[in-house]
Amino acid sequence: MSKSFDAKEKTTIDRRNMLKALVGGCATASLTGCLVREQEPGAKGWVPQQYDAPSNWPPQVRGRVPIDPENPSIVRDDRKCVLCGQCIEVCKKIQTIYGSYALPVKDDFICIHCGQCTLWCPTGAIAEADDRTRVLQALKDPTKVVIVQTAPSTRVGLGEEFGMPAGSWVEGKQVAALRRLGFSRVFDTNFTADLTIMEEGSELIERLTGKSEAPLPQLTSCCPGWVKFVEYYYPEWMPNLSTAKSPQQMLGAVLKTYYAKKTGIDPRTIFSVSVMPCTAKKFESARPEFNAAGRYWKNDGLRDIDAVLTVRELALLMKEAGLDFASLPEESYDSLLGEGSGAALIFGSTGGVMEAAVRTAYHAVTGQKAPALAFDLAPVRGLSGVKEASLDVPGHGKVCVAVAHGLHNARTLLDRVKAGTARYDFIEVMSCPGGCIGGGGMPRSSVPPADDVRRSRIRSLQVKDAAGTLRESHENQEIKELYRSFLGRPLSHLSHELLHTDYVSRAKHLKVDPKALEEILAGQVTEASRP
Amino acid sequence: MNGSNAVLVDLTQCVGCGSCTVACKLWNGKPYDKGAPATGLHPVADHSNWTTLTQRKAEKDGAPAWRFVKAQCMHCEEPACVSSCMSKAMRKTEQGPVVYRPDLCAGCRYCMMACPFEVPKYEWGKVIPSVSKCQMCSTRLAHGRSPACTDACPTGALRFGRRQELLGIAHDKLKTGRYVNKVYGEREAGGTSWLYISDIPFGQLGFKANVTSESLPAIAEHYMRKTPALLLGGAALFMGLSKLIQRKKAVAAAEEGKREQ
Ligand code: SF4
Ligand code: SF4
Repeated sequence: MSKSFDAKEKTTIDRRNMLKALVGGCATASLTGCLVREQEPGAKGWVPQQYDAPSNWPPQVRGRVPIDPENPSIVRDDRKCVLCGQCIEVCKKIQTIYGSYALPVKDDFICIHCGQCTLWCPTGAIAEADDRTRVLQALKDPTKVVIVQTAPSTRVGLGEEFGMPAGSWVEGKQVAALRRLGFSRVFDTNFTADLTIMEEGSELIERLTGKSEAPLPQLTSCCPGWVKFVEYYYPEWMPNLSTAKSPQQMLGAVLKTYYAKKTGIDPRTIFSVSVMPCTAKKFESARPEFNAAGRYWKNDGLRDIDAVLTVRELALLMKEAGLDFASLPEESYDSLLGEGSGAALIFGSTGGVMEAAVRTAYHAVTGQKAPALAFDLAPVRGLSGVKEASLDVPGHGKVCVAVAHGLHNARTLLDRVKAGTARYDFIEVMSCPGGCIGGGGMPRSSVPPADDVRRSRIRSLQVKDAAGTLRESHENQEIKELYRSFLGRPLSHLSHELLHTDYVSRAKHLKVDPKALEEILAGQVTEASRP
Repeated sequence: MNGSNAVLVDLTQCVGCGSCTVACKLWNGKPYDKGAPATGLHPVADHSNWTTLTQRKAEKDGAPAWRFVKAQCMHCEEPACVSSCMSKAMRKTEQGPVVYRPDLCAGCRYCMMACPFEVPKYEWGKVIPSVSKCQMCSTRLAHGRSPACTDACPTGALRFGRRQELLGIAHDKLKTGRYVNKVYGEREAGGTSWLYISDIPFGQLGFKANVTSESLPAIAEHYMRKTPALLLGGAALFMGLSKLIQRKKAVAAAEEGKREQ
């Protein structure tokens, strides 16, 4: 950082100034009488080094991304911004959002809410929109039953906030901490990840077998940043998006319907919180259409999810409550919406949804357990930006799948399919490099976030999946019970009402700049983090 | 002064990031005040916010069109503030900036009344207040740098250069037909060092429409010639006042210095 130029001026003394000082004119003599300062206001601060070159050398990295003051996911504190330009680096090069649209702007601050900028911003100027107060208020309210769900990757992230190595497994401690914070039930988003697989897998089979008119390839829909990205940039692909809601929204919907009914809790008293590795989940939960329970009970005000906390916000709540993380016991999730398979667990990693879907879809088509390959689907594991695999499914034939993470990679993949140079049946996309374990709501690690942290978190999920006995979504007993006693079967009428959704084109809010985009895409991204 | 420095603001290129306002605060060491934001729908231009960025929800061809308008001192070619200032605290430098010297400021606030753009602000909250406004980073310019805001702008909405050259660029852009046919600042108040082009009529973006294109000091002179006595008396009075305040400031500065030690 360089200081203001006038620092120099403060201590110079030349004859002219001396003269001025002597005649008592315009300059103020300092106490010692030998330093003369010609007062110029301002110029008392500094700017980062890149802004200090002569004006014919414009800075390479400059400025910052625009952020809507009304953005439901991220906020920026101007006092902390040092104009380092890192947010632009990630938004433009990794996510291909900033700089992809033509100027002048229309009527939107284009943002898919992934929150990668919150991880890259070195000063923490950009952070999640803070929802802790609302949650604390609900926890204090005796008329509210405050129920929480935790996403798959939270349990391999939270420990880092308490000094543990990246990827430390803290599932049981996280549950215990949530109980001590006053949540009356602790449920697992893994449960609805299994439900997502049941619905999305059945949908895929319908598309594959021609039972449904919806086009192939089917695109995953569990990542809200990715969904908004399609709505902005590829509205013509919206019919390809699976209509299945994300696990977060599915849990919110069954919580205030199925669970409320079964336990006799008035759904109006339920305050539903989710702990997510993600900032876009805040945006998702606020999408107007996500009040399935409200429609079910004919009470419009009923939201499926009332508040979303990032892992970082949860850690802050715990620290403020004075919980001693080390001495917390290991506790288990509550039942009815608390059981999750290993397949659901690996949702947190890039390629995980694909692997989970393959296990269940294979079983659904053939009636047999998927081959060992589907329990360690190496081609879609790891951090290369675009991955693909194909699988022979007896009775159906070859199924081709692809996986991308980070939206630069997603564009590359989609453009390949568009151009006809590749053909797939099913495509998984996660906005964040590495998948949810690299989400914008996960603990900050290095700046910029590093692949070794991502790998540690992924490994942790895969090890637990491999060690478990329940590794297929369709074997989840609580899921079976949910279908038996409430939903009927996947894609039933009620399932559609509660667990499926549709999409809105946002194309009118921006004009894509194809040339600029081409330039951005020319910068190759293979590994997750590096442009 | 057409060889002097200037900034061309292309309002169609601004994405509303507010980097310019942060650069200004960083470089000038200006504090933040939650109650007086520098950006947003209703920013507050004051002694700490030398530049503001206003979000305008305008319309174009029947569709909503948001624009972001950066505002700061226009750095007039022939500044009314300079000619209204009797203690010579305001000055137009050869390089382009209109700068002021708080040590010379008598606190009369004539400049605030004279300015056609309502730029100079008063430090109402200070014990020894002075007038305050954007200096166009005069010390940076003196070292061959550009104003901090123009350096930080990631889109090129702010372009620093020679006024004559920038006017050429502006008029070339107007020829594309994508802009309204006007360079704001080319003639306003006799010409300013900050120039704006826009695709939406300036009036709809909050720009003052009725600023005279005559140089303001010329008008002022017309009146002042008639009142030489008052002028002289005024000048003497202000010189006296300036000296007085000067002394007060020196004492205050000395005391502050003591406190810091
Ligand atoms: S990364 Fe953070 S500090 Fe750097 S420019 Fe962006 S908001 Fe400012
Ligand atoms: S820095 Fe440039 S793009 Fe950002 S708000 Fe200022 S003028 Fe607009």
